[in-house]
Amino acid sequence: MTDTTTNTETTLSAKDRKLKEAYFTASQGQLIWQRFKRNKSALFGGWVLIILIFSGIFAPFLTPYDPTISGRNEAYLNGAPQIPSFCDDNGCSLRPFIYGFERTRSIKTNFRWVTTVKTDLESRLYVQFFTKGVEYTYLKFNINLPGDTLDFTIPGLTFDTHLFGVDDGFIHIFGTDSTGKDIYSRTLTAINTSLAVGTIGVFIAFVMALVIGGVAGYYGGMLDSVLQMITDTIKTIPSIPLFMALAAFIPAEWSAEARFLFISMVLGLIGWPTLARRIRTHLLTERGQEYVLAAQLSGASPAHIIRKHLLPSFTSYIIVDLVISFPYMVLSETALSFIGLGLKDPVNSLGVMLQNVTSTDVLLNYQWYFIPVFFFIALVLAFVFVGDGLRDAADPYGSNH
Amino acid sequence: MLQFLKFAAIRAFLAILTLVLVSFIVFSLMELVPGDCAERYVAFKNSQGSIITPADIQVERVRLGLDKPYVQRWGKWIINAFQGEFGDSCILRLNISQLLGQKFWLSLGLCLSALLLAYAIAIPVGIMAATSKNAVLNNSLRLVSYLGLALPNFLLALMIMLFSTIYFGDSLTGLFSKEFRDAAWSWARVRDFLGHAWLPVFILGWSATAFAIQTVRALMSDEIGKLYVTAAAARGVSGRNLLMRYPARHALSPIINSLGFDLNRIFNELPIVALILTLTEAGSLLIDALATSNDQQLAGAIIFMLTAAIVAINFVTDIILALTDPRVRSGIMG
Repeated sequence: MTDTTTNTETTLSAKDRKLKEAYFTASQGQLIWQRFKRNKSALFGGWVLIILIFSGIFAPFLTPYDPTISGRNEAYLNGAPQIPSFCDDNGCSLRPFIYGFERTRSIKTNFRWVTTVKTDLESRLYVQFFTKGVEYTYLKFNINLPGDTLDFTIPGLTFDTHLFGVDDGFIHIFGTDSTGKDIYSRTLTAINTSLAVGTIGVFIAFVMALVIGGVAGYYGGMLDSVLQMITDTIKTIPSIPLFMALAAFIPAEWSAEARFLFISMVLGLIGWPTLARRIRTHLLTERGQEYVLAAQLSGASPAHIIRKHLLPSFTSYIIVDLVISFPYMVLSETALSFIGLGLKDPVNSLGVMLQNVTSTDVLLNYQWYFIPVFFFIALVLAFVFVGDGLRDAADPYGSNH
Repeated sequence: MLQFLKFAAIRAFLAILTLVLVSFIVFSLMELVPGDCAERYVAFKNSQGSIITPADIQVERVRLGLDKPYVQRWGKWIINAFQGEFGDSCILRLNISQLLGQKFWLSLGLCLSALLLAYAIAIPVGIMAATSKNAVLNNSLRLVSYLGLALPNFLLALMIMLFSTIYFGDSLTGLFSKEFRDAAWSWARVRDFLGHAWLPVFILGWSATAFAIQTVRALMSDEIGKLYVTAAAARGVSGRNLLMRYPARHALSPIINSLGFDLNRIFNELPIVALILTLTEAGSLLIDALATSNDQQLAGAIIFMLTAAIVAINFVTDIILALTDPRVRSGIMG
């Protein structure tokens, strides 16, 4: 009896010890991941985010049509979403189908084009999977330097398979807009654009914040005060009006791609102050910590201290800040494009797609224009949940250990 | 008292310094735009049928003082700006101060009401959330504050417009009814204005409210756990009396401190919300100035005035904090 109890006690404590050992020898990344995993909403947000990122990257494969004007369906303008179904009054089928439609114009319709949905068996369009369609290319680089010899092109990989489609005609599961472009194809491409704008913007903001915040925090003193004054001033100016003023510089003749780059850069150039301030504050507090003093007394070089002690102490904070500032970039871009100062038509972004929805006509008749909004909210919320989860997980003094 | 005046003077000096820096940024932005006022005036005259030579442009430049060096023109601009005088808009050929005048104060009024609304909701709700152990309440508040971030005001405005158009057949736009738009201020006009203004105020205050609830809740739950609260509870203070006399007073200072940034957030939403709700009397002037006519003088004046409002709020909150918060006060008095 006594033997067994001592036995279980020793095994328990052995297990305990192992757990403790694992805890104390775990790297910072492992610890953060352990804490992050316990946060259900952050984990869920993470999954949503991964799905959205992948659907953005693989948008050309997942969507049946080209999101630009060349992929439009001229016969189905402002068309309602076509939801694939398995059954209707004419019986069921194993393969999902949508209805065909007919456009007519006669004296009866006052010579306006009227679209009628045909629900009979013959005009069913069956959804096909892995159909051939418009070509798309991945990993294509085209570097155009001055001089012909320096031009350099990687052809990349070209595909033409799409996840789904119909044989004759078109399928628009989210409907079409006023020029007949497929809203589903545009939405997924817009996610891609928003992520790209956010990534470039966050990257530029990060580099500027690291340089300015790093200099202010490392040197301190007078330089710090001056840099803080400038940072605070830029923080005081309302950013959206400032974005608008900067975006108004773009000459009308610029291409959509150049516009895209400029807008991303502007977002980054205005987004740095908050991040710079955090980096500076962190550097200032960490610089005076005992472990830095200990390293100095042990004869470590400044480069070694910065690399091995200071940087690891706040990389996790920086990553968290970057994730948190991401949705702001996406939101700003959307707002800017929405008022017509941001991205322009051939480039798809949520703001571009929402440009025309304020008209009463759209509000009353074409509510499917709003479908992309839900994707957008999901994207921003996912970033916020993941950011919050990471912040809690990265905080070693947080409550949930 | 003397120390307090010194503190106020330093704060005022810093506020003015900030504004000078802001004016430099704004003025540089205005200057960076290709084409100056002289060219625009002359282009306008050209479109009216007169024949223009490069010499005419030069004469116009001298008349407008555009031949002077950059720093001198900036100095003139900033001195005028502090007197509330921004010159003429090159495109509209109208005096900017007159053009903005009432519209600016109306916009500022809307934004300040939104700020007021945000805290009128956030303070009681935030305190309630911090003290309550009710999981449903806490989770739903968390959801609301997340939505405050993810559903930016302009999307909220669009959604409200969508639903009100479908269910009420009225898109709820504008600040005045047709018959009051150009009328003089009267009691009926004020009532009409209030009937229209609640929606923009609500929408402008939406994300600020969500953020404010989070802030108040976090501050209160931090303070409630502290020892001085336990000590007060041990002395027999309890209930609302305990909350209001101890943690709430401590949590108030950071809130006052953040008012300026909340106003900044609301200003960010203003132009876009104004565009959606077609508030031609407020806010959307900035979009007109930038998106349609590229009018830098007007845009610069608006950005400068918005920033000045934020700097003013920051200054006032600093002074209020110094007066009300003993911790700050003792910091100043040495």
